[in-house]
Amino acid sequence: MRIYATYNIKGGVGKTTTAVNLAYLSAREGRRTLLWDLDPQGAATYLFRVRPRVKGGAHALVARRRPIEDAIKATDFDNLDLLPADFSYRNMDLDLDDTKKPIRRLAQLLKEVADDYDVVFLDCPPSVSLVSENVLHAADTLLIPLIPATLSMRTLEQLTQFVADSAGRKPELVAFFSMADRRKRLHRDVINGAPPGGARISPAVIPALSIIEQMAEHRAPLLIFAPTSAAAKCYEQLWADVRPS
Amino acid sequence: MTRPIRTLQTAHQDRLDLEAVINALSTRFSVVVSVGEATFRYRLDTFDHRLRAAGLTLQHQSGGDGDLLVLGDGETTLSEPLGNVRWPALVDALPAGRLRERTAPVIGIRALIAMSEESRRLRRLDLLNQDAKTVARVEVDEPDSPTVGPAQLTVRTLRGYEEQSHHAVRLLSGTGLRPLRRRADDDRDQPATLTTVDRHAPATLLLATGLKDVLTTMRANLPGLLDDVDTEFLHDFRVAVRRTRSTLKLARSTLPEAVRARWEPVFKGLGDLTTPVRDLDVYELDLPTMAGWLVAAGPADLEPFAAHLRTRRAAARLPVVTELHSARFRRLLTQWGDELDWLTEASYDPSVQTVPAGQWAERSISRAYRRVVRGGAAITTDSPATDLHALRKRCKELRYAIEVSGPVVARGPRKQALAHLKKLQDVLGRVQDCQVQSTSLRGFAEAMMVEGTPASALLAMGELIAHLDAEQARARRQFDASFAQFSRPRARQTMDKLGGAQR
Repeated sequence: MRIYATYNIKGGVGKTTTAVNLAYLSAREGRRTLLWDLDPQGAATYLFRVRPRVKGGAHALVARRRPIEDAIKATDFDNLDLLPADFSYRNMDLDLDDTKKPIRRLAQLLKEVADDYDVVFLDCPPSVSLVSENVLHAADTLLIPLIPATLSMRTLEQLTQFVADSAGRKPELVAFFSMADRRKRLHRDVINGAPPGGARISPAVIPALSIIEQMAEHRAPLLIFAPTSAAAKCYEQLWADVRPS
Repeated sequence: MTRPIRTLQTAHQDRLDLEAVINALSTRFSVVVSVGEATFRYRLDTFDHRLRAAGLTLQHQSGGDGDLLVLGDGETTLSEPLGNVRWPALVDALPAGRLRERTAPVIGIRALIAMSEESRRLRRLDLLNQDAKTVARVEVDEPDSPTVGPAQLTVRTLRGYEEQSHHAVRLLSGTGLRPLRRRADDDRDQPATLTTVDRHAPATLLLATGLKDVLTTMRANLPGLLDDVDTEFLHDFRVAVRRTRSTLKLARSTLPEAVRARWEPVFKGLGDLTTPVRDLDVYELDLPTMAGWLVAAGPADLEPFAAHLRTRRAAARLPVVTELHSARFRRLLTQWGDELDWLTEASYDPSVQTVPAGQWAERSISRAYRRVVRGGAAITTDSPATDLHALRKRCKELRYAIEVSGPVVARGPRKQALAHLKKLQDVLGRVQDCQVQSTSLRGFAEAMMVEGTPASALLAMGELIAHLDAEQARARRQFDASFAQFSRPRARQTMDKLGGAQR
């Protein structure tokens, strides 16, 4: 089972749209895929038309009062399941802190479904928290969407350092530019500039296009309602770059 | 993920009333109906039904969306697009992915064959809740004509929405659909069960029955052998020939002299005719393993050897195919079948006195067992490889004696005895295979040198010979322990229960 996490300290950079589209692409290729929506806002859950409710909430999951399998819902797409968000996830840090090995708990929970899935995507909330530390421990690959701006590159450096300083196994870091607008000189300069050390920058660039925003309207992956769009091709390119060999 | 929870079907020869189905489901769900799609469906399995034995079903569905392979295990289904594949085909022809990973260990070296084919119309009903989320699916699978069979509706549950799919089953049951029954034609390719023979019946009946079963196997494997579908058709054909020869030999005192005098040379000739191709098949099958033995050379160095084998095999197949395609051979098989029918009839003639089947079985197993024990005891560290080969042949005769006696000896001791024997046969087989392969590799190398094969290939073959010689020495050292185990009192007792240790 290979675990990907879409993560950035900043919000609104395209984590959820990336997780949803790449998870769909993984499932479309026949891989049994699970997307865990860890963000209490539940955007991925909403996009798959699943009700944002987990029986017993985050506490029951983290404390292992309810098995993780019981919370999983099938999406409308073959091979793609979702572990929905629940508003109680806002307190997941506290729930994790109550456990014995608080930074390894998500990895332990995912082991329970290791036989059921080939690929897992973790759609993370934008923060540096116990949840994100858990994600670093659980993930094999951290996908980091970056808006092409100077401050984003600084954030990437901070994140790279944060991963380097964290104890235990470290995920592979793959950054990619998201919401890129090539009409803006700054975006072009940043995309063409030298990447900071520590993280690989994928050649795939996700453009800032309204068709991506329409995912919320269609409540479906972009590849479903606009399969031939330029943005869809960009997600396919990104997946081709990072998918399991 | 989805999994099927119930399959329902229309009554025999009734057309499906799709409107009634949709109306029933609409009382609880919004129903989205996909356009019906005509599909041509091949059910795939190996000749010896390996997939079915493993609880798997594999279909090649060909329709408007292209070709699809669908694997089911009763709980889940896995589908993958399929390229341009013609059946029969080996597992390598399947697209790389989970489906091939799942089926390859089961299919092994056998080819996938289209066991049946039919034309169907498929459509999907998505059952949606108030959020327009799909919560259950119904797959509607209709034959082109109701006379071919009933329409089937499979309700698939979506993980986390089990309650809704059970509700859908209840709604469908209310429309008069019935739970699926297995279709009679699913049994068409069931392997035949063994014929039973009473131990007090004449021995000729046991022999004729056993030989008829073997003839059935021979005939069944013939088309696959001639079409070169996979190597196991020839292998199984040869095993059937060898069993026939052994049975005729074991029955020398029981069957009429004229029968043996006519047929023993025929089956010996068939064995000799097919040996060269089988030997080359063994090389081709073992090549990937052999490549793993190489230390100094690499697997690519063996490519000229593989090409040489392919050329030789093609040449060696020619006389086999010519003979087995001939009218003469077809006549022989028919005459052999007639002979066995005559033997069966004759065994019921009260004026002809033959020993009872049970007594014949005990005596034959006993004789064959004693020959193995005597032969094994005479093997010393100085014995030439030919002595071990002769012992291996005696072991095969014992095996066939036990197998042909199957209907009249107890099942438990029979299985135990075969298990004891198999361990000894495995060691002897390794000794003999290494000997044959090492010797013929030298011959191949000489022929290839004349053809101007690169030195790297010949050096790689030298490594293989060294490995085979070492492996043969290892197997040779294991022989004493294996034979001691085979002839120990406990194994002897098992044989005694079959009459094998009698004197």
